[in-house]
Amino acid sequence: MTSLGGSSSSTTEYTVRVPKNTSKKYNIMAFNSGDRVNCSTWTQARMERDMSARRIYGEEESAEGAAGSEFGKKQREEARRKKYGIVTREFKVEDQPWILKVNGKAGKRFKGLKKGGVTENASYYIFTQCPDGAFEAFPVHGWYNFTPQAKHRTLTAEEAEEEWGRRNKVVNHFSIMLQRRFREQERGGDDDDDENEKSGKKKKKGGGRGGDLRIHDLEEDLEMSSDDSDSSMGDDGEGKTKAKKATGKGKAKKKKRKSSDKEALEDSDDGDYEGLEVDYMSDESSSSDEELEKGKPGKAEHHPKGIDEASESEEESEEEKQNEEEAKEEEEEEEGKKTPVQTEKKKKKDSSGESESSDDSDIEGETASALFMKKRTPPKRGGRGSAGSSRTGSRPGTPSIDSASTSNTLRAAASKLEQGKRPTPGPSTDSPAAKRLKMEPSSQSPVPSGKSTPQPPSGKSTPSSSDVQLTEEAVRRYLIRKPMTTKDLLKKFQTKRTGLSSEQTVNVLAQILKRLNPERKNVNDKMHFYLTE
Amino acid sequence: MSDKTEVNLTGVKQSKGVWLVKVPKYLSLQWDKATEKGEVGKIIIGKKQGKTEVRFSLNEELTALGAVGEQDASLQVPRDHPFTMHTVGGQTMAVFSQSNADEISLEGMVVHRAECRPVVNDNYMKLKKLQIKASTKPQRLSQQLERAVTTVFKPVANHDFNVEHEKKKKSEGKMVRAEWQVVLDMLFSAFEKHQYYNIKDLVDITKQPVTYLKEIMREIGTYNSKGAHKSTWELKPEYRHYQSAEEEEMQTA
Repeated sequence: MTSLGGSSSSTTEYTVRVPKNTSKKYNIMAFNSGDRVNCSTWTQARMERDMSARRIYGEEESAEGAAGSEFGKKQREEARRKKYGIVTREFKVEDQPWILKVNGKAGKRFKGLKKGGVTENASYYIFTQCPDGAFEAFPVHGWYNFTPQAKHRTLTAEEAEEEWGRRNKVVNHFSIMLQRRFREQERGGDDDDDENEKSGKKKKKGGGRGGDLRIHDLEEDLEMSSDDSDSSMGDDGEGKTKAKKATGKGKAKKKKRKSSDKEALEDSDDGDYEGLEVDYMSDESSSSDEELEKGKPGKAEHHPKGIDEASESEEESEEEKQNEEEAKEEEEEEEGKKTPVQTEKKKKKDSSGESESSDDSDIEGETASALFMKKRTPPKRGGRGSAGSSRTGSRPGTPSIDSASTSNTLRAAASKLEQGKRPTPGPSTDSPAAKRLKMEPSSQSPVPSGKSTPQPPSGKSTPSSSDVQLTEEAVRRYLIRKPMTTKDLLKKFQTKRTGLSSEQTVNVLAQILKRLNPERKNVNDKMHFYLTE
Repeated sequence: MSDKTEVNLTGVKQSKGVWLVKVPKYLSLQWDKATEKGEVGKIIIGKKQGKTEVRFSLNEELTALGAVGEQDASLQVPRDHPFTMHTVGGQTMAVFSQSNADEISLEGMVVHRAECRPVVNDNYMKLKKLQIKASTKPQRLSQQLERAVTTVFKPVANHDFNVEHEKKKKSEGKMVRAEWQVVLDMLFSAFEKHQYYNIKDLVDITKQPVTYLKEIMREIGTYNSKGAHKSTWELKPEYRHYQSAEEEEMQTA
């Protein structure tokens, strides 16, 4: 260091050193002059990096190892990213902001954001003067602008916009934050009327409420709906009415909220059964059934569709209505299993709509077991029977009697043949009187006709259009050709072709078989008839 | 990061004043070439008619562009650099340093700002011209080749990679079915590490043929065809007892 004394100029020289081996990195901490920061007043300071951005940049690792993790997931993710050219910016700790806390918990807080581009074109050096008079120059590594962080509550952006709209009207600015605090209490705690009133009082001063232009869950939207509408009005600039409305709003809001709550609580029964699915139904009566059901939603009972389904629908009525679907599906299933004759019978049952007599339910039990191959719950039968009997009266039972009788007659035919030439033409012993009456004339009528001529029994049946006539000859032909069961024979003489009704077919066939008296043999546990000539 | 570093406030307490000087890039480059001692030049502060003038004079040996010791007569970095001084009006600036051990200390307050300016003369202009030329050069360059490259696409009977692959396969041989229990043990230990596995990865791990492995997996595991872990296998619930990661952490902590 040399100093030259001069008349008008004096110069001092200092050497400048740039230390090479500094372990320290120098940074600039810049404050705004308006903040009036005086570092010398600091007693204690703490500084750390603000790592909150790590969540955004760093990908969430889902459970590494053990539960929930996949083998080789990382590699796959990386490969996928490379394939799509996704370049994710690295999370550099160096570039993260600083958080500076001065004078402990009660003191100030600063956030220091890194200023970019400082060291790109020019380098900054810090010149400090050493005790020996020389200057030491340290390069500046980074520049951080520190701004003080507010500890007090602030308005959100939406709220701020709202207040901006009302800036000319609002006189009392203190109330703004007060409103906000109250509102937060309301939302967090219970629905207090007091708070509403309080807020109502505050409004009198003309300060409007802070708006509730918040995007919340549905309930809050509903509750605050009135507020929203008002606040939106305010935003449009119609603030004139707002002041007046504000006072009334508090009470109105309370009322509205309560009313909306009440509304929500009430149950409406009307729409309960709209979405009920009803299975495909072929007949009109079934639609009437639908209507009836819909008309009586509360009733546990609703009429079943037929004998077979009576049991099931009775079960349904005790349970839920959805099972009706299942029952109908079962109906469909069963149709597939039955023979054509039986399907006809079934259709009859559908049209009948009701068979509630206890007799019917008894018959169901017996007839169905052998011929209809249905699943039954025996214990329920008794209950059903009683339930059925209780429901009789309003519904006609005759068609079902018919169907019962037809099933009965088939059985009767079979039993007749087994009995051989026994004089008793009796049908099954369990048939009720009404059916017997019907049976007897029907059984009797083909007999005389059969006795008179070997021709087709014309007494009862007049085949109008027939490709196949139900004659003894025809039956004989079939039986000579190969052994057949009664069922097979029935199939041959379909009612459509012979023009006979199913009852008649059965009767006539029974007569014919009686006359022919074919030989029997058991094939596959079924009784086959055959003739040898 | 929960650990907070206590800031060493000694520098500020002592009210050490520092200068923040903006230095041109070429000059800082020259400074980097300085010797171990670190002397780069001199600051000359003079008072001329009441005005303070600060000048920086670069050391002789550092004026050469290029390697140290080379004396390139044509181009030399200018030596004289007057400083333009400003006061720190608008900003309160402090200097803090961060050591390698993440210790933060406040070094001092900035009292003056300065800019190191070169003296504009022909020499400087030439220097600048050089700089501009260097910066305008494109980073990528397209070169014309005299002859076409023929080394890459020659047809080959069997590619190197394929040959290697086949050799490797032959040496390893076919995957042999190990005992059912042995494979089960392998699988269970694998599933302890991760919950979801691809069948290919399992084959890799267990070295079992795919069909056999699938049989075993069908017994002890289920296949996820949809969902987050697309086509992966996982153990059936009765075979697994995963604890959530948090629980594990708590247990280990």
